[in-house]
Amino acid sequence: MSATKVLRSLLNELRRASPNGCIKDSLAAKYILAQYKKFETTDQQLCKARNEAIFLGNTYNTYLASLRNYKELYMEYHGRGERTVKETADLVGFKLPTDPK
Amino acid sequence: MNTNLVLGTVRSFCLRSRGKWQVPISGSVRQYASPPKRFYKKTSVLCTDNGYEITLDHRKLKTPKGTLFTVKSEPLAIAVATEFDSQKEHIERSRMHLSALCFTALDNPNNLSKLDMVNYLLNFIATDTVLFQYDDEQDLQDLQHNEWDPLIAWFNQRFETNLQKTMNITPPLVTDEDKIKIAKHFQSYNLETLHGFIFAVDTLKSIVLACAVIEQQIPVEKAVALARLEEEYQLKFWGRVEWAHDLSQQELQARLAAAVLFVHFNCSENFIKEKLIL
Repeated sequence: MSATKVLRSLLNELRRASPNGCIKDSLAAKYILAQYKKFETTDQQLCKARNEAIFLGNTYNTYLASLRNYKELYMEYHGRGERTVKETADLVGFKLPTDPK
Repeated sequence: MNTNLVLGTVRSFCLRSRGKWQVPISGSVRQYASPPKRFYKKTSVLCTDNGYEITLDHRKLKTPKGTLFTVKSEPLAIAVATEFDSQKEHIERSRMHLSALCFTALDNPNNLSKLDMVNYLLNFIATDTVLFQYDDEQDLQDLQHNEWDPLIAWFNQRFETNLQKTMNITPPLVTDEDKIKIAKHFQSYNLETLHGFIFAVDTLKSIVLACAVIEQQIPVEKAVALARLEEEYQLKFWGRVEWAHDLSQQELQARLAAAVLFVHFNCSENFIKEKLIL
C-alpha cells in the first residue's frame, strides 16, 4: 500500500475506534500526522530498515481493523444462553399453539 | 415409627430444598462476570523522566500488580492510551492486546528471566509449524513448498542455521550449533522485547514466521495466512464458517500485530544528533 493509502485507512480506523467518532483531539491521529510531516519527502532519515515507518503504519492499521472485525463477528455470534421456545420455533418456521394461524 | 420420622425429615428437606434451590428459570440470560465500566472520560499521555505515563482523567494508569504504568516509547504509550480511549461502555480487557502485553512485560507475573524465555523460544523450534510438511496430498504439498520453503531458506540465511523440514511425524533435527546461534540472537534483546517475541511465537506457533514478520519480510496478514495454511487449504473443500475461521483469523491478526508493534517500539530508540554549526 502506498503511504497516502495507509494514512487514510489509519485515520478511518481511528475514527471508527473512537467512542464519539471524532478524531479531532485524538493523540494517535496527531502523532501519526506528525510522523507523516516528518517523513514527508523520505522515511530514510533515520538509520532504520527500508520502509520501516510504512510497515509499522500498516501493522497498526491491521491491528485496529482486525480488532474491529473481531468485535463485529463476536457481537453477532457470541452465546447469549438458551433460546426461548418462541425463538426456536421462529428459527425453524414453526408456530406456537398460542399464535394465530 | 422411626422410619416415618426419617421419611418425614427427608421429605421436609426435599420440600425445603425444592423451594430454595429450584428457582423457576425465567428468561434465557446467561450470567457472566460483567467487565468493568468505563470510569473515565479522557485519556492522555504524560512525559516524565522515567518514560511515558498514561492518565485516565486525573488518575494515573496502573498495572494489575499495582505498579505505575511507564513505557519508554512514546508511540507505544499513545497506542495504549488510544486503546483505553476506544473502549465504549465497558473496558473489554480481553480485546486489548497491546495494553495486555505492556502490563505483562511490566509486571512479569510468572517471574520469567531472560534465560527462561530464550529456552522457551528454543524449545519451539523442533515443533515449528512450517517445518512439518505433508507429502500425501499433491496440492497441499505444492502450496507448502511454494509458501513455506522460501521463508525457511530466508531464516537459514539470516541466522546462518541449517533447519530442515520434515515430511513425517519425526521432529526435525536441530543441531546444538543452530540452537546456540538462535539463542544468541534472542539474548541480544531486552526482557520486554522477549515478551513480545513469545506472544508472537505463541500466536503463530512458529519461530520462523514470527522472525520473518518482525524483521519485515512479510506483512502481518500474510504471516497469519501462512500459519493457517493447511486450514485455509481444507476450507476450500469443507466450507468456511464465519464464527470459527474468520473469528480466529481476525484474532490471530490482532494478536500478532500487537506483538510486532510492541517489539518494534521496544527495541527502537532514536538518537538524533544535531549538526554543530560553528
